[in-house]
Amino acid sequence: MFGSPTLRQLAPLLALVLGALALQQLLPQYFLYVGNLLMMYVILVIGLDLLIGWSGQFAFAHIAFFGIGIYATTILGTRYDLPFLIAMPVAAMLAGAVGFLIAFPATRLRAVYLALATFAFAECAQWVARTWDSVTKGADGLQIPPTSILGYAVGNDQHAFPVVAIILALVLAATLYLQRSRFARSMSAIRESEHVASASGIDVKRVKILSFTLSAIYAGVAGGVYTLFNSFVNPDILGVAQLVLVLTMLVVGGSGSIAGCVLGAVLIGILPEVLRAAPRSMLVWQEFFYGLILVLAIMFMPRGFFGAWQAWRDRARHAADKRDAQASQDTRLRAKASTEASS
Amino acid sequence: MSALLSIDGITVRFGGLVAVDNFSMDVEEGRIHALIGPNGAGKSTVFNCISRFTTPAAGDVRFAGESLLADPQYAIAKRGVARTFQNIELLQRLTVLENVLVGMSSRVPGYFPLLPGARRRRIEREAVDAADEVLALTGLTGYRDTLAGDLDFGHQKLLDVARALSAKPRLLLLDEPAAGLRNREIAQVDKLLGELTARGMTIVLVEHVMQLVMSVAQKITVLSFGRKIAEGAPAEVRANPEVIEAYLGKRAHA
Ligand SMILES: Nc1ncnc2c1ncn2[C@@H]1O[C@H](COP(=O)(O)OP(=O)(O)OP(=O)(O)O)[C@@H](O)[C@H]1O
Ligand SMILES: [Mg+2]
Repeated sequence: MFGSPTLRQLAPLLALVLGALALQQLLPQYFLYVGNLLMMYVILVIGLDLLIGWSGQFAFAHIAFFGIGIYATTILGTRYDLPFLIAMPVAAMLAGAVGFLIAFPATRLRAVYLALATFAFAECAQWVARTWDSVTKGADGLQIPPTSILGYAVGNDQHAFPVVAIILALVLAATLYLQRSRFARSMSAIRESEHVASASGIDVKRVKILSFTLSAIYAGVAGGVYTLFNSFVNPDILGVAQLVLVLTMLVVGGSGSIAGCVLGAVLIGILPEVLRAAPRSMLVWQEFFYGLILVLAIMFMPRGFFGAWQAWRDRARHAADKRDAQASQDTRLRAKASTEASS
Repeated sequence: MSALLSIDGITVRFGGLVAVDNFSMDVEEGRIHALIGPNGAGKSTVFNCISRFTTPAAGDVRFAGESLLADPQYAIAKRGVARTFQNIELLQRLTVLENVLVGMSSRVPGYFPLLPGARRRRIEREAVDAADEVLALTGLTGYRDTLAGDLDFGHQKLLDVARALSAKPRLLLLDEPAAGLRNREIAQVDKLLGELTARGMTIVLVEHVMQLVMSVAQKITVLSFGRKIAEGAPAEVRANPEVIEAYLGKRAHA
């Protein structure tokens, strides 16, 4: 439960990286693009889950930090000529710093007020991206030039694929470590009861602020990843549609677990690619569908697919235990009956 | 001998209501000191003042000679004061063991897992061992991996106490630990409190179950409408006409 993640947990991460290196040559460009997109979403969703699923803070500013990650990585690369390996971490730290700052007022708010205030913040961020022409080029958006990492040119989806996989593996490893830390326990304590946490010596405000900061850093990293396989960004990326998309991933997969986040990101992230096959006139319904899925999932599967599967597994196990207990009792009774009969 | 906990003339108002009115009380180290009184007398409010969930408008709360009122809520546990909650508050979706581990937050340092693996594992091992000890003491060992929310009422009550105990407090504030329990469970709480004082813990017990109070308390303070109306050894308090009046008066209304 504590200490370091087990080898069994870390092994799939290695497999992810090796698999990406192998598949890079085999898959067509379009599949590689979808792969990059899904991996980026996994990072984004896990970051949101730190706040919502782990700490129980229903804050919706996540997309703003994602936007900061994209814009900052791009601008640091183009204007200041910083290499990606520096621009991306700096951008993530910048997102984290903004997360840290908004956490102070945010920790004073609860439930629906927190949700509204953070939602408003995300809207403001989009407005800034639209309006701050000299930096973001406003509604026209920014070109993202191809970058290179230690001499390895990342010019297309194929080149980006293993890089994104490595970043995802690192993020997942960090999350596994975090999950086993005492800090994670403090996060779940404040989610369950701030009174108990506080009376037990947990500085609730500090845990919330750190959760906001960490969550924003994850979103910033996802933003950096976006720049690896996209050549363009405009303020639309900061819109409500993106937020609903990421929330749907979290809710459908199952918040509070890494596996749930991965599942949700893949299932929901792949949907628009599937829907592409549908007639164009259907596309306007896309956002409506996400909203609908979100509402249905909240109503019928509050713990997501992963949670539902866990519950089913627990029930099955429980039933098996009961059968075993019953069986052993039967044997005992029969043994008793036979000894009584023989005496 | 100076008191471990010294409550000095605290007053708490909620709007026009004076919930606690210039109340003072000294708790000697190593004792079980009961705080009793009819519903709404202000007992839980007194606990809230000690644990910094409420700030009194006047007066002071001193623990081991120092005022607690300047401390933030979360620092109280570190000072050596732990509390339970009248309306059971638990970390519902965490296991019994995890609840107890959270209870230790004031004595296990560090946030991020940046320590070397071996050292970190040793610290965690020690924490889990200490938690298992608390579970054994409270009779919860068999429920170690059960979710707190799945426990029955009696065990939830015990877990609340176990969580507070795991902080190894010098002073334990118990707000109605026996409320709603069956006789057998009350006997278990009785025995547990005895073991705790044997280990040198000081306890303030708020409780309506008189059988428990009379059995374990060495001293009783009686609160009615926010004021102290009696204080002394159990036998004295039981014979006090004002106390009988306060309790009978309440029963007459009910
Ligand atoms: N947060 C609050 N806001 C307003 N009034 C409050 C608040 N907390 C307590 N009160 C009032 O203060 C008075 C004392 O309440 P308190 O909970 O301390 O009583 P108590 O002695 O613990 O009673 P019980 O035995 O029922 O638990 C009551 O009249 C109660 O209604
Ligand atoms: Mg009370």
